[in-house]
Amino acid sequence: MNARNTNEQDVRLDVLLHEWKADAALPPRFQEEVWRRIAHADTPVRIPWWAELWQLLEAAFRRPALAVVYVTVLLLVGFGAGLMQAREKASQVDHTLEARYLQSVDPYLKAR
Amino acid sequence: MKRAWVILLTGVALGLCSYCGFYFAGTASYRAMLGSATPELTWLKNEFHLSDAELQSITQLHAAYLPQCAEMCRQIDAKNAELQQLLSKSSAFTPEIESKLAEVAGIRVECQKNMLRHFFEVGRSMSAEQGKRYLAWVQARTFLPEHGMHQPASFGSPNEHGHR
Repeated sequence: MNARNTNEQDVRLDVLLHEWKADAALPPRFQEEVWRRIAHADTPVRIPWWAELWQLLEAAFRRPALAVVYVTVLLLVGFGAGLMQAREKASQVDHTLEARYLQSVDPYLKAR
Repeated sequence: MKRAWVILLTGVALGLCSYCGFYFAGTASYRAMLGSATPELTWLKNEFHLSDAELQSITQLHAAYLPQCAEMCRQIDAKNAELQQLLSKSSAFTPEIESKLAEVAGIRVECQKNMLRHFFEVGRSMSAEQGKRYLAWVQARTFLPEHGMHQPASFGSPNEHGHR
């Protein structure tokens, strides 16, 4: 019963659509504009590299283990760099003071 | 977003703190040494593991030796200047040059004797083991061919000899 009603309505709609004539004029370069928009919509949106990197970082830091590893690595790098620089500085001061002592006791030892 | 920023900055801040902390802790003793009244003698104390009493004795020896050393520097410079003047005027080896060379050599010998006396005194002020080590080190750095005594004496001012 319902199916018959639906078919009748479809037929009437088809008749009405066939009888309908659009008399509005299309805007100028309508077709060209439609194709331009389709082409633009197909172009993938380019994300800058830093935004991609930030997204990766955000995703990584959502995992507590990775966040802990990151902080630990930076702590260790700071520790190592600080220790190495301190050793270098200590060795430099050591040599300077050794030379100063020798220069103070040896009249022939020129400042080098 | 905010959480990522917090973790990122916390890591960087902790890394920087760790670097500064270890650098300052590692150089603290050297900064103290440089800040002392006689950094070179403080260095000697550290290097040869001297006690305060040993350092005090060596400081006295050092203070007594410095005027002698400065006087030697003055004499070396004076004799070198005289020798240089003679050499610039002469075109042949003259008896004056020979005599001046002998004077320069005499000062060198005198200087070596003074230095050695001082080194032995300083060595005796240390423990036997450190004294032996000190003598070996200081003699190697001042008497061996590539160091001090065997370098040509300076024609410049005494300051170039390290008396500042």
